[in-house]
Amino acid sequence: MDQLDILKQSWQSQTDNAPRFSKEQLYVLLARKSSSIVKWLFFIAIIEFVLFIVLGIISHFTNEKNDTIEMIGEPFYYGSMILHYLVIVLFIFLFYKNYKNISTSQPIKRLMDRILRTRRTMKWYIWYNLIYVMTVGMIGAVIIIPHDPRISELLNSPNFIGHETTFYAAFLGLTFVIFLILCVVLYLIYMLIYGILLNKLKRNYNELKRMEI
Amino acid sequence: MSKKLEEEFVKQLEENQNIVHKICRLYTNDQDAHNDLFQEVTVQLWRAYPKFRGDSKFSTWMYRVALNTAITLYRKSTRRVKTQYYDSVQFKIADRPEDDEQMEQLTLLYGAVKQLNDIEKALVFLYLEDKNYREIAETMGISEVNARVKMNRIKTKLTKIINP
Repeated sequence: MDQLDILKQSWQSQTDNAPRFSKEQLYVLLARKSSSIVKWLFFIAIIEFVLFIVLGIISHFTNEKNDTIEMIGEPFYYGSMILHYLVIVLFIFLFYKNYKNISTSQPIKRLMDRILRTRRTMKWYIWYNLIYVMTVGMIGAVIIIPHDPRISELLNSPNFIGHETTFYAAFLGLTFVIFLILCVVLYLIYMLIYGILLNKLKRNYNELKRMEI
Repeated sequence: MSKKLEEEFVKQLEENQNIVHKICRLYTNDQDAHNDLFQEVTVQLWRAYPKFRGDSKFSTWMYRVALNTAITLYRKSTRRVKTQYYDSVQFKIADRPEDDEQMEQLTLLYGAVKQLNDIEKALVFLYLEDKNYREIAETMGISEVNARVKMNRIKTKLTKIINP
């Protein structure tokens, strides 16, 4: 007989000094709040959605005050805006669908899978927003430069004549670098938040996956 | 209706709370953490209860929710200061002179099980609860063959822990 079967024989008889909970105590426990990681993931997701929506609204408001829309052209400005909010609605729908599927009554591996999927949706949401900001920002800049009187004035000044291409390249290059730094910083913050939250889950998930090979 | 549901739930939980205590004991190292986890399992069970259709036994359904909570949802670290928590576990065995040795061996085995990782603990727990491999596989979400293979590896591992 192997070791575990020895334990199994006595397993059902195990007792412990810890007191059993009475019905009254169980009622009290029921009323308490959960502190599970799913709850935390949910709150973080809400913050992420709100953050980028608010940022979008703020940027649209500030743009409306100056002549950006005129320079960039209404079709591009409103087109990109409508597309952006449609995609956000799609993400909210995807998140909601994934979140609804998280249930503790399912097999352990599937639960982990669902949680990780919800987390992935949020990761894509962040990446989408960053890429959106960069793409629209760069295209916008390319459209704006020839139309902005201040820039044309600058380019027409004696010092700049003949260096227009260099100016464009430097301008776009700089935008790109700033964006890249932003991405790295955001990515690190994310790794930290989700790392703390999902470290244990990932370790256990990998352990289960290793069994399947 | 909700009141009735709550009463019914608390009655079942009270009767079956031993299962949750055993899981808490396995996954935590002190009484505070034990109570914390018990609390979270209770909340998760209650939350999932309306969807519990009764097509499986309450206790079977409980295994799943409780293990899911201990392994996946429970946020607090289980790596606290290791106390001799498992010493508090007692196994009721007949009171004979040779039983001291057996008791010692059981405690040693239990200590070895506590050194396993979260997933291995879950497999061992279900095995000790006399679940067959089909049930173990279903609860874990892996195939029966894999559950069997893993279980054999765990047995080897336990032997090595006890007889290094």
